Amino acid sequence: MSEPPTPLEEAIARELSDTHALSPEEASARAARMAPELRPRFATWVRRELVLQRRNERRARRAAAAAAATEGVPAEEFQRLSLNLRLQHGLMALSVIFLILTGLPLKFHEHGWARFLIGVFGGPDTSPIVHRVAATGLAVVAVWHMLYIVFTREGRQNFKLLLPGPKDAVDVYTQIRYYLGKTDERPRFDRFSYVEKFDYWAVYWGMVIMIGSGTLLWFTEFFLRFVPKWVTDIAKEAHSDEALLATLAIVIWHFYNVHLNPHKFPMNKTFLTGKISAREMIEEHPLEYERIMRARAEASARDGEPAGGQS
Amino acid sequence: MRRAALAVVLAAPAALAQPGGPPPPVAPVLRQCGICHSRPEFKVVAEDGTARSLYVDERPLAASVHARWQCVDCHADIAAIPHPAGLAPVNCQRCHFPGNPVGAPEDVNYEGYTKSVHGRLRLAGNTRAPLCQDCHGGHDVAKRDDPASHTGKRRQPETCGRCHLEVFAQYRESVHGQALLARNNQDAPSCSNCHGEHNILPPKETASEVSATHIPETCSNCHGSMEFNTRYEIPVNPVKTFKHSFHGIANELGSTRVANCASCHTAHAVLPPADPRSSVNPANIPATCGKTGCHEGANANYARGRFHVDPSSRDAGVIYWVALFFKVLTISTMAGLIGHILLDLSKKLRHARNAESHRE
Repeated sequence: MSEPPTPLEEAIARELSDTHALSPEEASARAARMAPELRPRFATWVRRELVLQRRNERRARRAAAAAAATEGVPAEEFQRLSLNLRLQHGLMALSVIFLILTGLPLKFHEHGWARFLIGVFGGPDTSPIVHRVAATGLAVVAVWHMLYIVFTREGRQNFKLLLPGPKDAVDVYTQIRYYLGKTDERPRFDRFSYVEKFDYWAVYWGMVIMIGSGTLLWFTEFFLRFVPKWVTDIAKEAHSDEALLATLAIVIWHFYNVHLNPHKFPMNKTFLTGKISAREMIEEHPLEYERIMRARAEASARDGEPAGGQS
Repeated sequence: MRRAALAVVLAAPAALAQPGGPPPPVAPVLRQCGICHSRPEFKVVAEDGTARSLYVDERPLAASVHARWQCVDCHADIAAIPHPAGLAPVNCQRCHFPGNPVGAPEDVNYEGYTKSVHGRLRLAGNTRAPLCQDCHGGHDVAKRDDPASHTGKRRQPETCGRCHLEVFAQYRESVHGQALLARNNQDAPSCSNCHGEHNILPPKETASEVSATHIPETCSNCHGSMEFNTRYEIPVNPVKTFKHSFHGIANELGSTRVANCASCHTAHAVLPPADPRSSVNPANIPATCGKTGCHEGANANYARGRFHVDPSSRDAGVIYWVALFFKVLTISTMAGLIGHILLDLSKKLRHARNAESHRE
């Protein structure tokens, strides 16, 4: 029994049979003789060939899996985030990035990178100005969002769907059991899963703490006319500690959910396009999807009755 | 001014007045100089009527490290007696230079001195700026570890105070001055412990030991150690807590506008907060915080709360509980979130592997 051909031998054999129309037996016999001499020279090429080959196979498998998953799923895209919400998110993200870049160095002032960052923002006299400009951006979002959830229909609807309920506790329980392999049943979410509700209310809490304490620290001299110094000391401690919590939550939790998560990598584009595919809708928000479908069916039934009568 | 000061030599012996004659031999000099200078009533009177004693007491010189030298060894520009008025100041470098043959100590910090505020002013021609002898003593120079030395730890305040009168007055009453001068506590700082010895620079210059950005470092030489602070009933580490405050962080980053140790505690009149004269006594805090350029208009609210707060210490009161709350909140939240991420990842990984093996 001869040994099975190496990848190099296979490749040479393929090449020989393609270009010289040799029989497979002849080609592999010649390849077996050529390979030992050629191996050192072609090792890199062979490795690369193999890597490319595996990648193509993987891509094909994925495409097949994706095709299988979307089989029978309409290609429709749903509007998930209105322009209003995307602008709110955009301004908040921009503000928070600058707030973290100019704020975190204060908490970690003894480290070199902190000094570097403060230097990037113009040193100890200008960096605080950048921080306050970004803080104003965040405060604007806070007011904007309040107006949004009070005065727009969309905002009121979204807000109602974001209120936590007993179903969320059940969902967490089911999800963990699913993760641990205790059940194959996955929680079925409405427009907002418990993860999204957590994110929303975490930001809500963070905004209250950060804007409240930040205002106190920005206008210390004004507030000290009315409150004792220890109140501003609490504000300082809370501002610094909540900032770290928020940063960790954003960098670890939020970035995992929308960027690093294998299903979303490199990023979930919904925050830019506002759109979500039907497949994601069925996968992640089945209750909302069914609700929309039901509403459509009812609407078409209402509108469709006369049409149905005609046919 | 000095040239205008007309020397009126009282009771100058006529025998010495030999205008035009050859200069007399100058040995034994001490005795010859003493002809005039050993007389307590020997004075010059300036044009404005003020008198300056020219009497030299030989006893301190005899007790000093320079006892073996003659007057002209230092006052080297005297070539004849009587000598003209306005002699040059004594130049210590005649002997104190590296490799000198007379065994004078060589480790003299001329370089530090010439770069210091004193040296620079002197070199620029300001005759009121001190030379070596103005601090170390003229005729009564003692060894540095001799308690009688003008530059010894306990005598420095008085030596520097000859020019820096107000500073000396403040320091003498301060907690540092009281400890050193009244109780001879060698832990307490004298002038040079904070300002340096020869390389004294004005606080406005960044390189100065007492510049706004160097002061925390200088104070931390003593107050940086909790063992030291506990000994003097200071409950928190004042330097560490300062460095974590907004003042301290801005200071560390090079801001000179922001408060440093001396801004609140004063440079020389440092007193414990319980002392009603202290700048950090609760009654004086509004004035201290409300200095021009700081929190102008500060009121009594500025004194309501703790200073030098260490959030990790129970002494911080409510701040300790706030910090603890956020610590627990952060750790539990992040543990939950990271746990959720890991569960999600591992499930997805298992799922992907299953799907793969299923297909193959």
